[in-house]
Amino acid sequence: MSDASRVTRRGLLRLAGGALAASQVPGLRAAAAAPDLRFFTPDEYALADALAEIVIPADAHSGGARAAGAALYIDGRLAEAFTDEPRALWREGLRLIDALAAREHGEAFVRLTAPQQVRLLERLAAAESKPGTAEERFFAELKRRTIDAYYTSRIGIHDELEYKGNVLLDEFAGIDVSQKR
Amino acid sequence: MLLRIRSAPDPDRDLLTRYDAVIVGSGAAGGMAAHVLTSHGLNVLLLEAGRKVDVEGELKSMEWPYDHPRRGAMPASYHALTAKEYAIRQPPYAAGVPHDKVFSYVQSWGGSDYSRNLVVDEKEHPYTGTRYAWVRSRCLGGKTNIWGRLALRLSDHDFKAASRDGYGEDWPIAYADVAPYYDRVDRYLGISGVPEGLAHLPDSVFQRPTRLNAAEVRLREAIAKMGRVLTPYRAGVTTDGLKHNKYRSRCYGRGACARRAGGCDIHAAFDSPTGLISPALDTGHLTIRTGATAFEVTLDPATGLARGVAFIDTETHKTYEAAGKAIVLAASTLESTRLMLLSRSQAHPAGIGNSSGHVGHNFCEHLMGPSVFGLVKDLAGRPRTLDDGRPGGFYLARFRNLETKHRDFIRGYGFEGSSGTGMFPSNAHSTPGLGSAFKKQVRDYAGAFIGMGGFGEVLPRYEHAVSIDPEVKDQWGVPVLRFDYRFGDNEKRMAADMAVTGREMFEAAGIEVLGADTDLLTEGWSIHELGTARMGRDPRTSVLNEFQQAHDVRNLFVVDGSSHVSASCQNPTWTIMALAWRSCDYLAGEMRKGAFP
Repeated sequence: MSDASRVTRRGLLRLAGGALAASQVPGLRAAAAAPDLRFFTPDEYALADALAEIVIPADAHSGGARAAGAALYIDGRLAEAFTDEPRALWREGLRLIDALAAREHGEAFVRLTAPQQVRLLERLAAAESKPGTAEERFFAELKRRTIDAYYTSRIGIHDELEYKGNVLLDEFAGIDVSQKR
Repeated sequence: MLLRIRSAPDPDRDLLTRYDAVIVGSGAAGGMAAHVLTSHGLNVLLLEAGRKVDVEGELKSMEWPYDHPRRGAMPASYHALTAKEYAIRQPPYAAGVPHDKVFSYVQSWGGSDYSRNLVVDEKEHPYTGTRYAWVRSRCLGGKTNIWGRLALRLSDHDFKAASRDGYGEDWPIAYADVAPYYDRVDRYLGISGVPEGLAHLPDSVFQRPTRLNAAEVRLREAIAKMGRVLTPYRAGVTTDGLKHNKYRSRCYGRGACARRAGGCDIHAAFDSPTGLISPALDTGHLTIRTGATAFEVTLDPATGLARGVAFIDTETHKTYEAAGKAIVLAASTLESTRLMLLSRSQAHPAGIGNSSGHVGHNFCEHLMGPSVFGLVKDLAGRPRTLDDGRPGGFYLARFRNLETKHRDFIRGYGFEGSSGTGMFPSNAHSTPGLGSAFKKQVRDYAGAFIGMGGFGEVLPRYEHAVSIDPEVKDQWGVPVLRFDYRFGDNEKRMAADMAVTGREMFEAAGIEVLGADTDLLTEGWSIHELGTARMGRDPRTSVLNEFQQAHDVRNLFVVDGSSHVSASCQNPTWTIMALAWRSCDYLAGEMRKGAFP
């Protein structure tokens, strides 16, 4: 991605949303802070980021998918994917989510209230054991990639899971059974 | 001013010598042959088809996923074959796959970007015939660079299995013959474990053992009441260090070897380059030629003895011959077999050392697939513990067909398994829902699961074989192997029993069984191919004698897993090395006596 196109995209975003609006809409704020998109459009990125944060949100225990940069990581993996299939799946899936939000609430997903956003995704999640609709299938893909991105991130490994390994141990951890025979 | 330009060393100068021994292959068997023969003062040339890989530069054992651009995954243009592809397609598996490189299934494990230069590209190394997940490594040290580290002994339950149940052939050796060499391997390379005093799984000379976690101890104690034994992973890893080897560190429980496809960049886990080859180089008696793809063992028609090894330079495709008084094949079971079958001459029309017609036959290995996965409910929500800082979890020793006979099948199986929290919560993908409740459930249960998978003995059958494909060649023009091999009824009945006993043991320990797989994975999954140039007393039904010396050609030795008479259910690496040590001691003694002029 060339610097010129990045600047242009930022410029377009500013023109579209305006500085004031961007600071008030969470999705757009996140998009403005992510200049290195390689596949998503800024709008797609804002939506993917909002969706990932609902799947794995920040809470009292640890940061969520947004703080972990899950959507940006997914963007990179999609940009590099060997076939177009996952890219098409995401482009279409994000479009379907927005269409669903528009049908039910008359607004793009990122402009819904937080409870409306969560309820919409919870409904898709309810069918995750056997997804039927295209939206439900996309939810499975969204969740799979969000999990992979989040639990391999600094926040996911250290803050959320409190993983203790990958350190130098003088003595192995656990229960010594060699004395217990 | 006069510049003195030092001429580049002639890469072919090494071939002007007639060596005491030429070894083909540098893995567990070839490395051990190099160590033992050079320690006897023999002048040795080691040929390795691959290159010397900067293993430390590759493995980066402690790199965190978030410090890698793809969190440890290979580039997207590289493809690792999936279980489904092996199940529904036939070799050559890379045919028609559009990716730049195609790897075997091991490259689909976490952190595979760190091992992609240690395993072969299936596009460059095709094979044909029946389904087989053939995992190969062509570099100095071969598969020892990423092996699973489980280091078990065989016993007379294995060496004399035919006498016990009437199937197949006994080995021409007994445990007493090999035990001193197992001891030497233990001491020279280091092994971790707990002595259990089992006749069918003899103890090694163990260094400091690894430890079990709560769920594993619970299973150990529950099955002890059933007369079964679960013991900490017997790892071919030096946990106390080795004063005699400056190339290897002791284990610091970093756990990368169990998290990724394998490999240890401080070499606490045994690998051939640091455990065997570097010390052998220090003797001054070893010459190594990498990039040397052997394609024929040549014959001296006057004496009937092997004269040398013809090979192709992997880069230039030029052909050479290295001459040796003794030839030691250690290229891995199937590659040594391929080389023997390719070495046709008037005296050996079916391949060198193959007057019995058994080279390529009696192919055996370990079956995999049946496994059990469960939850220890009361461990959920406990404070986080460090569970994966060790080279492996546990080994559950064979219990079938020892003192009693099972009505459905002969021979036995063991399980490998582990419990506890890893770097990535394996339960996340199967945890339903979203939001904070999802996070909490993943977090609370991450350390409460336990799983284990079986490794079972596959019977050797004459009709299970590899042969030379009459048409397909690799990119060096060397004809490839064709497989004619599949699991039989004994294997299928054994697999069914594995799933039943796995479940029964988990239930005995109060572990809630969440899943029990009964399906067999594709042949080859265990990476334990064995038996295609077996030892035996009778030259009509075996290829090698008890010292892995060809019945037909007395200066030809085959010291890898192809010599094994049966697979047993124990992982073969430690036995490969014990036998190679024993045979190379014998070889050196014979050479001293002038047996190989």
